[in-house]
Amino acid sequence: MIEWIESVLGLTIQVGTVYLLASLGEIYAERSGVLNLGLEGIMVMGAALSFIFTLAYGHLVAILVSVVTGILMSLILAVMAVYMRLNQTVTGLALTMLGLGLSGFLASPEVRKVMLLALNPLLPESLLAIQEAPKLPEIHVPLLSGIPIIGCFFRQNVLVYVSYIAAPLMWFILFKTRPGLSLRSVGENPAAADAMGINVFRVRCVATMISGGFAGLAGAYLFLGFQPFWREGLTAGKGFIALSLVILSTWNPLRAILGAYLFGGVEVIQYRLQLFGLGALSPYLLTMLPYLVAIAALVAVSIESVRKRIGVPASLGIPYSREE
Amino acid sequence: MSLKIETRFGRIRVERRVGYGRLYSISMTLLSLALAFLVVALILASLGLDPVKAFQVIFGVFMKPSLLLESIKQSIPICLAALGLSIAFKMNFWNIGAEGQIYMGMIASTGIVLLHAYYGFFHEWMVMPLMFLASFLLGGAWCLIPGALKARLGVNEILPTLMLNYVAILIVDFLVHGPWRDPKGYGFPLSIPFPEYTKLNIVLGEPAYTGLLFSILGAAAVFFLLEYTKLGFEIKVVGQSPAVARYAGIRVRSTILLGSFLAGGLAGIGGLSIVSGIIGRLRPGASPGYGYTAIIVAALAGLNPWVTVAVSIFFGGLITAGGALQMSMGIPKAAAQMIQAVIFLMILVGEFIKRYRIVIERPGASER
Repeated sequence: MIEWIESVLGLTIQVGTVYLLASLGEIYAERSGVLNLGLEGIMVMGAALSFIFTLAYGHLVAILVSVVTGILMSLILAVMAVYMRLNQTVTGLALTMLGLGLSGFLASPEVRKVMLLALNPLLPESLLAIQEAPKLPEIHVPLLSGIPIIGCFFRQNVLVYVSYIAAPLMWFILFKTRPGLSLRSVGENPAAADAMGINVFRVRCVATMISGGFAGLAGAYLFLGFQPFWREGLTAGKGFIALSLVILSTWNPLRAILGAYLFGGVEVIQYRLQLFGLGALSPYLLTMLPYLVAIAALVAVSIESVRKRIGVPASLGIPYSREE
Repeated sequence: MSLKIETRFGRIRVERRVGYGRLYSISMTLLSLALAFLVVALILASLGLDPVKAFQVIFGVFMKPSLLLESIKQSIPICLAALGLSIAFKMNFWNIGAEGQIYMGMIASTGIVLLHAYYGFFHEWMVMPLMFLASFLLGGAWCLIPGALKARLGVNEILPTLMLNYVAILIVDFLVHGPWRDPKGYGFPLSIPFPEYTKLNIVLGEPAYTGLLFSILGAAAVFFLLEYTKLGFEIKVVGQSPAVARYAGIRVRSTILLGSFLAGGLAGIGGLSIVSGIIGRLRPGASPGYGYTAIIVAALAGLNPWVTVAVSIFFGGLITAGGALQMSMGIPKAAAQMIQAVIFLMILVGEFIKRYRIVIERPGASER
């Protein structure tokens, strides 16, 4: 029994980390007033590049490249949505399409081979055609990993530990420090923040780049830490689920932990049910579960937020201009 | 001024352009298209692929009659979905779910075909009209879900419409792997092939012409709706300001419900055009993202129904070119998707350039 709980819980954490990493950054962007709908595209680019760069140079470089690419892609969004004041929904969507198209293009066998040879001419022939990369190794924390049940929190790969540290740290910065206060004020009332001498444009730009960096990291984790097997569009809407998670967590990094593991749990339940014969009915119907739960969560939050008037950043989605 | 950069040469600032002509607007759009192709060329060249040859293949699509016909065929679902989106976007309803609504339309039309083929329901001549009706209703209903969530509970429509895309695709997967699998299909996940009288080839026996007719009819309908009807007017007012609409006595909720239903219905008919015009049966992944392409088309056409028809054919050509590029140059099919996305981004940048202009003030010219 304990073994079963541990395996389910362990898997829940592994899936949940994808959502957690992606939503942590997005919380910052949305708190500053920018909806980064490019999350899905940045994640899939992170996954594709971590695949290619792991084969060429190993894990560390791959993760760094994914994060930097995420930051650069979100910089496109920041320039277009913050400085040019273009519609954030449409711009973010364009970015997602770019990520999906470009990742499919770069990681396709033909182009991948060209890229790999350019990156590392010494690569053996056998690595040029494979569809998978080595997974991130698990690190067992001494003592802690031996505790029954809770121990599975401490038998994970390095990026999961990063998410453990990042979530409370991001919460602390957002709610207990001056830069965090500036960021929130920019999202609530940009004109007032501007009058206080805060550079609204710069804060939004940086917040968007943070969300891109984390989305890139989430993509790298999804591929290297969870399923190191490339197929086109492997994120399958996980970026959009992370976006609903941000709303479910009411833009709070600590609540995002719970929400992320909730969605992770839903996905694990779906795998388990497939194993138990229920999958014979149809795996396709079970696969719908996360999307339906995401819609249900959005509905629940909207009812709740109408009742309690809790926290949508007031200027979310509205470009700021000093002229108006 | 919000954007001001001080440089050694003077002060660069960005100003809102007050009023611009149609010619200027069109030339800016063409310029951003050219920029998009430049970016694509750079990406291709950096990977050692010959961009000139690639562009010859892409634009060659519009020169060769058989490929042009194929492009028109591919443009039909895009056009119908984009027409629906122009209604939704005019209403400020961010329907990103055209893809899912297309899939529901495919399910509805296939369902009618199967009812006829398996159980002998309806006369032969009734099948086609019923397919149209069913795909319109089911596509509309699929868009009505987020519409109702928005109208009743104030749930933002962006994420629900996106989620429902994935759900719709999975329903199709379920159906063709399970109950709707062709018993004579050797276990492949395909429905039975559609009989001849359920094919979209009334005009000259060619799906491309028939589809083009329907695209134009659809454009006329949407144009009429938006310009000459009360509902169209209400949709536009709701889109510009729900508060004003409410003040003017417009029933905002019903308008959102009706508008989203019509938008989804048109995408649903787009789904019909795929199974009955392009493929001739239902299979998984029957739409390679037509619903997403439709968003780009609606944006590029500036929500104008007539322009939408033309722009759709251009994008149908790009999708056709994707296949041609793969065959002649070994460039993966995803390249077509990438090109679309780059065009989308560049058009958006073009919108900015249209609306603003960059002014450089020499030091001493304006100050002192």
